Amino acid sequence: MIQDLLYSSPGWANFGIFFLLATVFLFVILGFVTYAILAERKVMGFMQLRHGPNQVGGRWGLLQTVADVLKLLLKEDTIPKLADRPLFILAPVIAFAPAFMVVATIPFTDKLQFADIGVGLLYYIAISGLSTVGVVTASWASNNKYSLLGGMRAAAQMISYEIPLVMSVLGVILLSGSLNLNDIVEAQKDGWFIILQPIAFIVFLIAAVAELNRAPFDLPEAESELVAGFHVEYSGFRWAFFMLSEYVYFFAMSSLITVLFLGGWLPLPFLGFIPGAVWFALKFSLVVFILIWFRVTFPRVRADQLMEFGWKVLLPVALANIFLTALLKELLTIF
Amino acid sequence: MLSGEFIAFIGLALVAIMGGVLLLNLTKVVHMVVALVFTFVSIAGIYVLLSAEFLAAVQILIYSGAITIIMLFGIMLTKHNDESEAKGIGWRKILLFLGVLAFGAAVYIGIYDLDFTSETSSLHVKNTEQIGLALYSDYIIPFELTSVVLLVTLVGAIILARKDDNGKEGDKE
Repeated sequence: MIQDLLYSSPGWANFGIFFLLATVFLFVILGFVTYAILAERKVMGFMQLRHGPNQVGGRWGLLQTVADVLKLLLKEDTIPKLADRPLFILAPVIAFAPAFMVVATIPFTDKLQFADIGVGLLYYIAISGLSTVGVVTASWASNNKYSLLGGMRAAAQMISYEIPLVMSVLGVILLSGSLNLNDIVEAQKDGWFIILQPIAFIVFLIAAVAELNRAPFDLPEAESELVAGFHVEYSGFRWAFFMLSEYVYFFAMSSLITVLFLGGWLPLPFLGFIPGAVWFALKFSLVVFILIWFRVTFPRVRADQLMEFGWKVLLPVALANIFLTALLKELLTIF
Repeated sequence: MLSGEFIAFIGLALVAIMGGVLLLNLTKVVHMVVALVFTFVSIAGIYVLLSAEFLAAVQILIYSGAITIIMLFGIMLTKHNDESEAKGIGWRKILLFLGVLAFGAAVYIGIYDLDFTSETSSLHVKNTEQIGLALYSDYIIPFELTSVVLLVTLVGAIILARKDDNGKEGDKE
């Protein structure tokens, strides 16, 4: 449907349809973010033998996040006197816009996708790097030592973990022979890449958690060291934008892991009668749960350990994986 | 003729030029770097309009990291809240203006007489694959040489960085 729209002649009707689709999609993602936060708090609660939110909206606290968001929107919007005012206002926008842009390229089923880009995977990784510019801008504009430290850490972490992230995906690209996310899913018909590329999967998962700035790699906002990291000075809806972009990336990265390694919408054998959307949702929820699980169970790493782990462990392992994959692929084609 | 592509091009080109002008006119170093972000991203957008999507993705991939590093250098190596001042003597400005005029004239003449023969090219079809094939078959030796040059640069940078804190422990990043 999107393809037909893209090739039709431009006009206000087209603009309206695209605008409407984007708005609907934004609300779907907002809905996800609302319940992802609730799920995270609930799962964390259960793992720590607590109840989690259970007051607002029935026994399961179903309206807790809605209430929290309303509270955030009603809060006073403070800008420090000595902050760099234009950058302070611009930074949440720079951080959030790429987060929403990357979601457009993810194929949820074989029909439900917004932009079927030839270099979809590269597009995702490239655009997601832009958010760091927003984070560093925010940290500098706040004129606060804690936020500046957080921003520095975010930059160092992004540079260090983007490389193993890309390198680990190269194994998948070698096997599927395409950068297009649809083709990558199609290439997993015979076996998901989590089975064919287990090393790549582990490296990618670790690097993805680091790119998401979640525990155990949440150094840019380590609350016990840096108060709140790069968003110390932010309040109200500007702060909400940073949180929103973080959770939209959470959504996007979980979808990407599902597409790259868990076969996207492809069913398990003999279970093909269940529609693809359900399969995608199931695998996606599993990845989300694993990421929450990580957050609850691992302690935060130290800044120097973070760097050493990225450069001395993940990068060599990812490179070795590329070598191994290329070798195996050549051997398989010979015999 | 007002097609969607044209509107997109005008928008991206405006943002790119505005980013460039702001880069020259702003006085604080971090503001300049943020202006640079807009220029690079909209140039990547223009690449997409030209069907060079691989180039666009790589442009953003490389420059998002590079700009972050420039920003950190700007923060760490310049004075806090320092503003650049416009200084220059009268005749120097006139010379600069003449230089700009000459450059503008040269570019104008160059573009005005430019005549693209409208041959049908198939470069936009599967251009990622075509770039890969060209790099690894026709241009393999220059490509490998570039990687050697980069490696030499990397080693040189490490040696330069290590020389300063000889014998001092830690402080790696």
